[in-house]
Order: sequence, then structure tokens, then C-alpha cells
Amino acid sequence: MSKMLPTLMSGSQFLSLVTAIALGGTFASLNIQKQANAAEREPDSSQRGADLEFFEKKIRPLLVDNCYTCHSADTNSKGGLRVDDRNGLVTGGRGGPAVVPGKPEESLLIRAVGYGDKKLQMPPKKQLTEEQVADLTLWIRNGAAWPEVEFPADLGASSAEFAELRKSHWSWQPLREPSLPAVKNTTWPRDDLDRFVLAELEKKSLQPVGDAAAEALIRRVTFDLTGLPPTPEKIAEFASDGSAQAYEKLLDRLLASPQFGERWGRHWLDVARYAESTGPSRNIPYPHAWRYRNYVIDAFQQDMPYDQFIREQIAGDLLPADSQERRDELLIATGFLALGGKDVNQRFKVRFTMDNIDEQIDTVTRSILALTASCARCHDHKYDPIPAVDYYALAGIFHSTDLCAGVRNLMGGGGLDYYDTSLLLRIGGDAKPSADHVAQVEKANAELAQARSELVALRDDPANKKAKGPAGEKNLKAARKKIDTIQEELVRLTDPAATGRAALGVREAATVGDTQLRVRGEAEKLGPSVPRGFLSAVAFLEQPQVNAAQSGRLELAQWLTHPQNPLTPRVMVNRVWQHLLGRGIVQSVDNFGVMGDSPSHPELLDHLATRFIRDGWSIKRLIRTIALSRTYRLSAESVVAQSAVDPANRYLWRHLPRRLAAEEIRDAMLATAGNLSSARPEGSPAANLKVIELRDTAPDAKRMLQAARDDVHRSIYLPLLRGLTPPALEVFDFAEQSLVTGSRDETTVPTQALYLLNDAFVHQQSRLLAERVLAEDRDAGSDAVNRLYRLTLGRDATAPEIARSQRFVADYESASRSEPLSIAAVKKPLPHVDKSSETTVAATTSTITAKPVVDQNPDNVSRSVEVNAEPTVEPLDPRTAAWTAFCQALFSSAEFRYLK
Amino acid sequence: MSTNPASYPAWNNPLSRRQALRHAGFGFGYLALAGLLGEQNRTACAAPPRSTPPNPLAPKAPHFPTKAKRIIFLFMEGAMSQLDTFEYKAKLQSDDQKVGPGGGTLVASKFKFAQHGQTGTWVSELYPHMAKQVDKLCFLRGLHTDTPAHPQAIVQLHTGAAQATLTRPSLGAWLMYGLGTENQDLPGYVTINPPANFGGAVNYGSAFMPAQFQGTRVADSGYLPNIKPQIPEKLQRRQLDLIQAMNRDLAKDPAAPAALDGVIQSYELAFRMQDKVPKLLDISSEPQTVLDEYGVKPGPAGSFARQCLMARRLSEAGVRFVEICHPGWDQHNNLHKELIRNSAATDQPTAALLHDLERRGLLDETLVLFGSEFGRLPTAQGPDGRDHNITGYPMWLAGAGVKPGFSYGATDEYGLHAVEGKMHTTDLHATLLALLGLDHESLTYPYAGREFRLTDVAGNVVREIFA
Repeated sequence: MSKMLPTLMSGSQFLSLVTAIALGGTFASLNIQKQANAAEREPDSSQRGADLEFFEKKIRPLLVDNCYTCHSADTNSKGGLRVDDRNGLVTGGRGGPAVVPGKPEESLLIRAVGYGDKKLQMPPKKQLTEEQVADLTLWIRNGAAWPEVEFPADLGASSAEFAELRKSHWSWQPLREPSLPAVKNTTWPRDDLDRFVLAELEKKSLQPVGDAAAEALIRRVTFDLTGLPPTPEKIAEFASDGSAQAYEKLLDRLLASPQFGERWGRHWLDVARYAESTGPSRNIPYPHAWRYRNYVIDAFQQDMPYDQFIREQIAGDLLPADSQERRDELLIATGFLALGGKDVNQRFKVRFTMDNIDEQIDTVTRSILALTASCARCHDHKYDPIPAVDYYALAGIFHSTDLCAGVRNLMGGGGLDYYDTSLLLRIGGDAKPSADHVAQVEKANAELAQARSELVALRDDPANKKAKGPAGEKNLKAARKKIDTIQEELVRLTDPAATGRAALGVREAATVGDTQLRVRGEAEKLGPSVPRGFLSAVAFLEQPQVNAAQSGRLELAQWLTHPQNPLTPRVMVNRVWQHLLGRGIVQSVDNFGVMGDSPSHPELLDHLATRFIRDGWSIKRLIRTIALSRTYRLSAESVVAQSAVDPANRYLWRHLPRRLAAEEIRDAMLATAGNLSSARPEGSPAANLKVIELRDTAPDAKRMLQAARDDVHRSIYLPLLRGLTPPALEVFDFAEQSLVTGSRDETTVPTQALYLLNDAFVHQQSRLLAERVLAEDRDAGSDAVNRLYRLTLGRDATAPEIARSQRFVADYESASRSEPLSIAAVKKPLPHVDKSSETTVAATTSTITAKPVVDQNPDNVSRSVEVNAEPTVEPLDPRTAAWTAFCQALFSSAEFRYLK
Repeated sequence: MSTNPASYPAWNNPLSRRQALRHAGFGFGYLALAGLLGEQNRTACAAPPRSTPPNPLAPKAPHFPTKAKRIIFLFMEGAMSQLDTFEYKAKLQSDDQKVGPGGGTLVASKFKFAQHGQTGTWVSELYPHMAKQVDKLCFLRGLHTDTPAHPQAIVQLHTGAAQATLTRPSLGAWLMYGLGTENQDLPGYVTINPPANFGGAVNYGSAFMPAQFQGTRVADSGYLPNIKPQIPEKLQRRQLDLIQAMNRDLAKDPAAPAALDGVIQSYELAFRMQDKVPKLLDISSEPQTVLDEYGVKPGPAGSFARQCLMARRLSEAGVRFVEICHPGWDQHNNLHKELIRNSAATDQPTAALLHDLERRGLLDETLVLFGSEFGRLPTAQGPDGRDHNITGYPMWLAGAGVKPGFSYGATDEYGLHAVEGKMHTTDLHATLLALLGLDHESLTYPYAGREFRLTDVAGNVVREIFA
């Protein structure tokens, strides 16, 4: 093939030349490849015509009549085999290739229809005629002719429209360092970035409002940087420190605090669609996903340069490491590519593979480049200049990569069927298996094969069939149980997690190479092969070339983080800006394509992006720069006249108030109640889950939700299985765990009010807070009210507020004396931090002894008796009850959950 | 597609473009919310007036006038054997044990079929109560779908797409987005005992739409998280008054968030909800005659009856979309025994629901949908089972907007492939949206750089069934 394409080019390079030189040339080279593919099978076109006619006359009808009921895409795929597609036959099912073109003697299909092998007789109970068998044999001997997939003649041709878009659309134009704009009010800017903001404001005749007051500022910046509230002591300290360096000192303290990584790491986890299970269609846990979570937190905490952070996640396994520890980290980093949702119930391996590649392409391009390349899976992108060939240039890279998430595809499996221990990364170094161990594995594998064939034999055994109903069922169940037992043994022997430590991630595939374009995105419809490469929309001169001997991920990582790639820095500074200022300079943070928003301050974006690269891709320096700016420190005050002109604050004349994220609300309640464990928990509650399907109503699922409810660690450490989002997070618009989420929704719904009013967790934290303050101040006078205001809202209470609060507590206390039921708290005390040792007694996860699924059809289980036990409650004494109710009111107030 | 950002209304809050687009597409919401918040006197506030973010759940006019205001979906999870219940095939009955087209051994139904009603519709002896209601039903007999596996087919039936790597909003979420809710004191989309796997929450999720549009999951015991106050109502009212006083104070602050009015409103709503919702979900308040009519009894066997009665109560109260579920229809074996069990659990309650809706005059504005993610084969699997069939199977509709006593489409003589009036899942979705007044091609939502539809790029509305 390389002979026919004298200059083998990467996808982007390939196409970037197209418009300049050889539109026809590209097109022709793809055609050449198509013909080359055909040539492998059949040199003589007239002979091929005859073979195809033979196929249509004899073979296709035979397959339709005898095999389709069990082996076609529209019906079923027994044993993973389909016969309605040549690739399906050649790839074969679980038993191996059904057809080896040219070699009927090696083709399982011929063995099956020959009826010579008692264990493999097809079609069952209806032996084909000798003539039919002879036809099949002849067809395979002559190369198993099958009509070519037809694809449009203009496939791979670039359009003038795309060429124009490549030149014109702002986001992929080269980065330029803009000169600083002139401003009238030269005293206002504190930092260069302020000049860009002010210049626009002056152009629009808008006035920036005044600076934020100290209390508002420290609350804002502490939440923004750490996700936690400032303590009253820190507020007082900052408010009283009149020095010019006070704010800088505060910033540096926050940037250095371990809570920084937990806050900013979570932003990346949103984008990385982090979760600890496959999601639909069968929800299989990823017990090792948490290692990636910790890697991300550490990367932000240690201020790993962003370009390095990206390279490690895309190609960590291909980067040099100077120690085993570093090697492990690099492997864990590639978990980014492995954590996506997966349809493990997919019948066909090729579809499973191509769907997962699509998921990887979608995640990589949207998270790092804010481009929706996966739109080009089935056809050229409708809006952006991303032709389908670019998509398959990327697909070739991921096709040359093993996706190691510990799961395989299988239709209708049960128990451990979906677990594939060979698809996991071993960390901590390779343990060389002993000969004894290898023998044990072989033995177990043989036993498993034996048990499987026993089950099949039993199912087809007429004697057992006669034992209809329970008796027959029972035999089958026993056979299934035997398989489960052997599987468990096999997992014990082969699971890297059982003998050491395991991680999710990727590795180079055994064979690497380009992949074919799939016509209309259909996994089986192979078009021409596409050279591996990158997106032509982001072409630049010095871009790396895929190493033919590797997958190309290393070069993809280099291409993504090349200083000449304008999207990567633009996208990241925009994400950071959004988290600090409330909206991105480009509001559609995950889409910089033609359908995305245009930047409100294009020059500011480039100013920040170039500065970001110059500052060594340091996220912390970027955050520090922005947080130090005058723009960031503006008050949130709204002004009628300006709000009429720019209601959305596009031009940044004030600071937008922000609602706390779900994690911040939960963590702030725990923190103010003095109940937050700042320690990082070991692993995750999900780490002990077996790799078997997790149903919403299963005991394990309930245990996960309970673990989340009882946990007193920061929310980033809660178990995050897809479809089982902890309610405390879900209620306040947590990220959709299967999708790249650069910007969360901010809804206001009654379920949030119901959660704050009635949830046992909120009651418990309110009670702990009340007890904390009452313990400090037995008189519980105005000081207690003030103390609670400072703890929860970060400010002093006003005189009317103190009076109102005291009145409330007194009234409530006396009213609750006359009520039959006083305010309630959780009967079983929720676990809390033992401050003396700072160890947690929370979220202990018992070792799981999940029963293997032995039911013949576990999907037929009734779920009508669903236990939804919320913690029961016990009455408190009226005084504590009244103060608890007061604390809860503070937690429930809008002021608690909004930042000015 | 016209999506020029400059043309969107800009509100005084950090609306994302997604949110802006959502409202630009319909242009209502403002007025409805103004009405909702009418009782609030905000003139006393010193703060500058803030425009209010529109309530995305405010009732919205459909694209075109329609009879159906609400829908109840009775989901038979696991693929009910149509050939033993509502799909009579004389040829299958006579060709028992012969080789079927495409292989396999044909197996006739063991259950007796008879014609019922004025329409003479065939129903098996498993559904004696439903047999009396057949003249209300509008059968879709030529359905087909893409994947003969429960997880994908169930997710596709509920969200329009089976692709697990991109979760899409559920049918109910699309209805919430397109129509809003009728009763602001209640969730507009309720799902009772939804599938615990096969996509789980995806089947009633909102995916890339905001969370307001997702379904509220309720157990057939009436359980709903956080709906029960932990303290006596009088005391909670005091507490709520304090919270609201604090919130109103904040409203005077010029730096108050734009969503503050919504927060204040949400507390009042929540307080009303905790009074109303448990009462609504409590079927014990129904007269004994009604309980008997539905066949309500304790335990798993009575689950579906409880769900049917809850569905009627929720629908009557204005819940836009109620889905109820009977699992356990996946008879690869034990077909005979389990069909008897399942039909016994579903026949009487389903018939009672139709009858009850009609009696209350609700059937004229409520659409009822009954069926599975796909059907089963006419051929045998094992000694007493049938395997999946996605190439031809039925569902039925009843009530608002559809022809009663009507049948559309057909499968071949054995009930294997749809041959007439073929309807893909997307056609079903397009038709359901149309019955509720929504044009499936106009009901779009922007995400990841393009407009998404429930029906993606396909879908034909089958107008032949419209009354």
C-alpha cells in the first residue's frame, strides 16, 4: 500500500495539502486503496463477477433460510457469530473464525455443517443437504466472495467550504500575542489582563463597579480555590490585615493548601467524564478507577504543567519513567482514555471496539480541543471542517491501542462473564508468573471450557428437556453455578488486583496500523484505509508524524500540546476563566467549533493563552494571575442602568454571583459542623465491588449509596458509579457522569428545598453544628447567633438579624415543648471524625461477598418490595432542637449557597 | 438551522447558551412564571429590579392543538410474548412443530385465543379482563427495532438511541422540555419501579438537558426521598418562615443572585409538595370498590395493580408522563407458567385503569401505551421458551387522539417479521410526540455543537391511527 501512496501522510497533513495541490490526487489514492483491497481477494474481475453471482444465487439464500434466526444483526448472534456479513464470518464468534477464505478445511462453518463433530452441528436438528455443504465449501475455497461495500465516490475529498472554514474560523487560527490596548482610566488595571477588560467596557460605555468588600472577597476566593468556606478566624485575620500583600498572602496559602487539588481536580474529572462503572447497558464496576481520580488531584495539587498532564493522560505508557513509582503514575494517567461509559452487552466485538474508540475520540477532542470530532464518525462534520477521514485518522491511533478497562463485550452474560482480567494494567512492576501459576491458570481455563460445554450440552440434551420446569431448571442452575465457581477461581489466579495492584488505562495493541473508514459509521462496512494522523483543522508546520511502529498516541499527545496548537491553551485558559469569573470568554466551553459561541474578548483569550504557555503551562500561576486581577476582585453589585445594557455581564462590569456546586454545599456543611475529615480516604468504597453487574436495587448499590451518605470525607471521594450518583450531589446539578461536562447546569428546583429541609444528612450536620456552638457558649446568647452567622455565611449578623434569630430559637423551643414530637436527628449517629487522631470511622467498606449470579435469568427478578430505608430519627431536647432548626435554616438560606 | 448567538434574548443571569437556546426555541416561560410569582410584592425592595429567569417547567403550548395532554406508559419489561397474548396467528397454530422460515421449530401458543368485542379482536385466554376492553385499543402490529438485547432495546425505547457512549434524554424529558408541567406542585414526570438495570436511570434521565426534566422515581410503596418532613409541620413552617425572611433580606442586596426569586419560590413549592405528594401516592384512601376493581393486594403480586392505581391518581392530578413497569417477561424458558403469573398480575389492573380513566372522563385527554422493548419468536427455544424477536411485534395505544378498536400494521403469517405498516422505534416516538402535540423535527435541543432530536434523523408520524 505504501507503494501506491508514495508519500504516506498523516491524516491532517494529507488533507491540508488537498486544497493546495491535489484534490483529485487524494481522491484517487483512496480509490487505489479500495481497489488494492479488492485485489487481495480477487485478481480477475470476470471471475469475481461469477463468484458474486454464485454467492447471491446459492450462498446468501442458504444462509438466510438456515442461519439468520440465530446469527444475524437483526435477530440474534448466538455465540457472538453473525453470518449476514463477511467480516462477521471471517472474524467469527467465540469459537474463532467461521470462515477462512480459501481454506474450507480450516473453516469452522464447514465443520459445523458437516455434522461430523458432535459438539458442533449446525443448523441444529436440520442437517444441510450434501449439495448445500458442497456449495459452501466451494464458495469458501474460491475466496468467500461477498459484494463490496459501496461508498460514495467523493469520499475523502475535501470541500472548498472546509478549506474556507479552516482559514476563517477564529478558534484554530494561530495564537498571536496581542498588544495591550489603550485605556482611558489608566489607574484602574492591576494586571495586564484588566486592560483588555477595561478597553471593552470603555468601548461600551460601561463602568466597572467598585471592589468587593474583604468579607465577600475572602469567601469568594476561598470557595473558588478550595471549594470550602473560610473559617471565621481567617476572615477576621484577612479583614484586619490592611497590608498591600494581605490578598497575595491569602492566595498563596490557598494555592498551596491540599484542598486546592481536590477542588480543581474535580473540575477536570467533570471534563474527563470520570465515573467508577460502565453505565448502561449493564452497569459493571471499575474498582480501580479511583487511582486516576487521585492522580488528577495530585497533578493539580503539584501544579503539573498542563501540557505534561495532557501528554501523560494520552500516552503515559509511552513516556520515559525513572522509577517504578513514576511508571505506575504514568500508567494510571492513561485511565483518562479508559473510564468512559461502555456497552458491555454489545453483541459484536467490532461494534464494541468502534463505539469505544468513538467515545475516546469524543472525550479527547472535546475536553482538550473543544471540538466535536465524533460528529465525523458517519459523515463529514456538518459544521466544522472535520472530514470523516480525519476521524478515521484518529480512530487508527485508538484502534492500535488496547483499551484496558477490565471488561469485555458479551450479550446476555451473568456473573463474572464481563470481567476480563487480561484487560487491566498491572502496576507496581510485573510479577513474573511461576510455572506452577501458569499451569494453574491453564487448568482453570480448561475446566471453564469444559463447564461451558457441559452447560450447552445439558441445555440441548433431550433428556433434560423432558425434565421440564423446575427439575430441568435446577440442572441448568447447577451447571451455571459450576461455571461461576471456576470463573471465581480463574479471577483469583489472574486478576492483577488479587496478586498486586491494578489500574485502568491503555497500552499498545499487539498489532498497530491504520484502520479503514467505516461507511456511514457502521462498524462492519469497511471503506478505504486511512493513514493515521490528526485533525486537519488544526494543522501547523512542525506537527509530529505518527511513528508507523507505534499506535501514534505519543505523537497525538505531542500534537495536542505543541506550542503551535492554538486550541489546547485557549480551551484550558477559557475553562479556568469560567471557573473564576462565572462564564467563559467563550461561553460554550466544550465547543470552539463553528456552532460554538464566539469569544467576548478574543484578544484577552489569546493574551491569557500565550501567557499560559510562557508560564510553563502552570495552572496555579494562571489562577493566581486571574485571581489577583482587578476584574476578579470586583464587587457582585448590580447597577440598574448597566444591567439594562449588559444583563448577562458579558463585558465583566461586575463579578457574577455564583451558586456553590453540589460538592461545595455538602463539604461546607460538614466543615462548618466541624465534621469534615480532611484526610484522603484509602481508595474508594467502589474499590471492593466485584466486577459483576450492579443493579440499582442490588444490596451492593444500596451499600454504595449508604457509604456515600455516611461518608465525612470531601465529596470528590464519594463513590461515583454511573446511575448511582449520591443524592447529595445529584440534587445540586452534579456533572452528568457519562458526558464531557465543562459547565454544569445551575437549576433551582423544589427537590433542592426538600433535600435541605428533610434530608437526614442535613439534619445531622445542623445538629452537630448546634452542639458545637452550644458547647462553646453555654449561654447561647447573641454571641452564639453571631458565631453561627460567621461560620455559615462568613459575616457578622446585624442587630435585627440577631433579634430575629433569638426570637426564632425561643419561640421554637417553647413551641416544641408543647409538640408531641420534637426536632429529630438521626437515631444511629452518623460516623464522624475523631479529631484526636484525625482518622475517620466513616465509610468503612466491608469485604464483599456478593453472591455469584446463578439465576438462569437474573433479569426476571421482581423488584416490587423495594426497601428504601432512610435513617430513622429520634427526638432531641427542645433547646438543642431549636438551635438545630436554626442551624438548618442557615444551611438552607440562599445566602449560604451563593457567593457574592 | 438558525443559531445566531446575537439573536438570543439576554437575561440578567449567567444563562448558558444552552439555556438561552432552550427558551429561544419556544419563547414562553416568562409570562407563566410572572403569574406564578404574582403574589409577591417586590416593590419594597431597594435593589434594582432583576428580570426573572424563566421557569423551564412552566406549561407550554404544544406545536399544534391536540387531544392528549398526558401519557401513561405501561412498560412490560423483558419482552412479553405477543404470540401468546395479543397476537393471534392461525398459521402458527396449525404449523406447530414444523420448521419455520429462517430455521427453528415453530411452536403454537398453548393458550386458547378467541375473538372479542365488536371489532372481533383476537385475545388469548390469558387476558380475560382486557378482552372486554379491546374495542378501546389501537394496535400497532408492525413494530420493529434494532437490537435483540434488552439493555440496548430498552434504552432505545426510552431515549431513542441505544448507543451507550452518548446518553440521550428520555422520552419523558423531551415531553417536559416541550410541554412543561400542568401542575406546578407535582413532578411532571414520574416513573414507578423503573428497570433497575438495562440503563437504569438513563431510561428516565435528562442526559444533557438540565435536571428539571428528568423523571422522578417512585416506588410502588409510594416512597419518594425527602418528601416526609422530619419535624412537625407547625415547627417546620416556623423554620421555613425564617429561611424565607433571610432570603427576602438577601433580595435587598444589590449583589443578590438572579435565581433568588426561584429559590424563594422553590421553598413554597416544596412545602406544598410534601403535603400533596404523599397523599396523592397513598392509594389506601381509595374506596374499597376501586381497590377491588384494580385488584390491589399486598406483596409483589399486587405491585402492578398498585402502580396502575397510582398512575391514574398521578395522571388525574396533572402529571404529564407516568411510566409504570411490570418486569419479568423474559421467557427463554418456563414460558407457560410465567405467562400465567404475569398476565394474572397485569390483566385486571390494566383493564381497570382503562375503565377508570374512561369513567372519569380522563381517557379523552390521556394517552395510554402498553408494551415491551421487543417481542418474541414464533419458534421454540428449549423445552418451554421463546427467544427475542425485533423484526415484528405489537404494542397498543388507547385513549386521547387515537382510533379506538383499530389495528395498524401486521406481521407475516407466523408473526416473525413486520410486513405491513412497519414502524421503527423512531416512528413510534415521532407518532407519540405528535399525539401530544409536538413536531418531532422541531423539538430540538442543542448539545455538543449540534441540534439533537428524540428521533435523531429519522421518524415518520403514523397519522393513520389518529382519531
